[in-house]
Amino acid sequence: MELFTPDFGLVFWMFVAFGILFLVLWKFAWPAILKGVDDRAELIDKGVEYAQAAKEQLDNARKEAESYLNEARRQQADILRDADKMKTQIIEQARSAAQVEAQKVMENAKLQIQQQQKEAQQQFRNQVSDFALQIAGKIINRQIADDKAQNELVGAMLDDIEKNNK
Amino acid sequence: MCILNSAMTRFKLILLLLFAVCLAPVAVMAADEHAEAESAEKAINPKEIIFEHLGDGYGWEVPFDHHHRIPLPVIVWGSDGLHVFSSARITGGQEYTDGNATFRLGDSESNWKGKIVEVVDGKESRPWDFSITKNVCALFITVLLVGGIMLWLAAYLRRKPFNAPRKGLGAVEVCVTFVYDGVIKPILGPKASKFAPYLLTAFFFILVMNLLGLVVIFPGGANLTGNIAITLVLSICTFLATNLFANKHYWKEILWPDVPLWLKCPIPIMPVIEIFGMFTKPAALTVRLFANMMGGHMIVITLTLLIFIFSAISPVAGGATTVVSLIFSIFMLLIDVLVSFIQAYVFTMLSTIFIGLANEEEHEKHEAAKEGHIGKEIEETLI
Repeated sequence: MELFTPDFGLVFWMFVAFGILFLVLWKFAWPAILKGVDDRAELIDKGVEYAQAAKEQLDNARKEAESYLNEARRQQADILRDADKMKTQIIEQARSAAQVEAQKVMENAKLQIQQQQKEAQQQFRNQVSDFALQIAGKIINRQIADDKAQNELVGAMLDDIEKNNK
Repeated sequence: MCILNSAMTRFKLILLLLFAVCLAPVAVMAADEHAEAESAEKAINPKEIIFEHLGDGYGWEVPFDHHHRIPLPVIVWGSDGLHVFSSARITGGQEYTDGNATFRLGDSESNWKGKIVEVVDGKESRPWDFSITKNVCALFITVLLVGGIMLWLAAYLRRKPFNAPRKGLGAVEVCVTFVYDGVIKPILGPKASKFAPYLLTAFFFILVMNLLGLVVIFPGGANLTGNIAITLVLSICTFLATNLFANKHYWKEILWPDVPLWLKCPIPIMPVIEIFGMFTKPAALTVRLFANMMGGHMIVITLTLLIFIFSAISPVAGGATTVVSLIFSIFMLLIDVLVSFIQAYVFTMLSTIFIGLANEEEHEKHEAAKEGHIGKEIEETLI
């Protein structure tokens, strides 16, 4: 029966020891431990939430970047096409301008040529008449006898030449 | 292959050791045959040994030495005031006179066998005994251990608030959150933080006491939680926590419960039963923890004593018993490790449930009934 009767001394010391332990832990240990664990759990929860949000944002950003890239590609293609068009246009314009210029140059050349031709004809005519006069003079010098008949013949020949040149 | 090999080697080694253990008593007996007459004289008294190990003492056994004990201070309040002296002065059975008072240990015929008594005019009387006995000493060691570990953990969490402790401290923290998140929070809800300090202190105090009791040498070995004084104080604390912080609804349920009028009006049958119940709950707590832990210790000691009892009969029987006893003792000790934890857990859980029931509001009745039912069910299975 000795085992079933509580010892006064042990009860007393148990009250004292357990009481002191309880007070000390109540004041210095449990609040700090429970708060620390709670805080850490909260931090981890927040971290997970944050990571999820960050991942979402990253995904969004990636999508956005892709769309921007596509847009840029489209714009690039457009610009290239425009440039190509412009190039052909410019070449076309240049060609037509050159053609017009060439035409002008040609026309000028033609006019000049005609003018020169006329001058040449005039010169030629003058020379021919000079030659003819010289020839005629020489002939006249040689054949003074047949003066009259010869002059008529020369006049007729000159008329013919004139008719042919007109 | 290598693992298998080493396992085989280890197994062979264990077999060899067991065989050696079997043979040892035979060899000893053969050598000591001539001393048989002497050994008959010193026949073992199992009852005495068991009760000595389960009970308290004024000194602490030194391992492997039966005759020497570490003396502990004796503090008594006798007929003429306070006396403090070393237990070495009386443990041999001699009387010690300090001032006008004479003290000695009660002998086997005394009413207070093994306790300090004051001898006044040839008659024995029991003084107020505040001695630092083996159990009290173990109690202090437990307090220092639990306090030290928890303050250490608290300091760690204060120093590095967002770091998880590793290794030993991590294990302690896991236990704290296991009890707090697994038991206290679900049952007490918003009032968890109010009662958590007491419940957590009780849990770790009981756990460390239980485990220290299983250690055979110095810091352990005292059968603390198997002592009814300890469990009594713990359940008184639970009783106070339950009743001092109880709400109106709890007292109404006790004094004017929700039953037909004839059960409470002329003769207050139900209130009497309820008031009785107030005391049976902590009483059940006291006895459960005490009986479980004491039973475990008793079985291990008995198994060990079987070796000596059978060795006294015949050396061969002693050898065989050694093997069986050893295996069973190891098995029982392993079970006791489990029981140490379970009993600490059960004590904490039931305390929490009692406190929870005393703090229930009226509108939570259904839930309360359910919870109370679960609590009672657990209690019944554990008793």
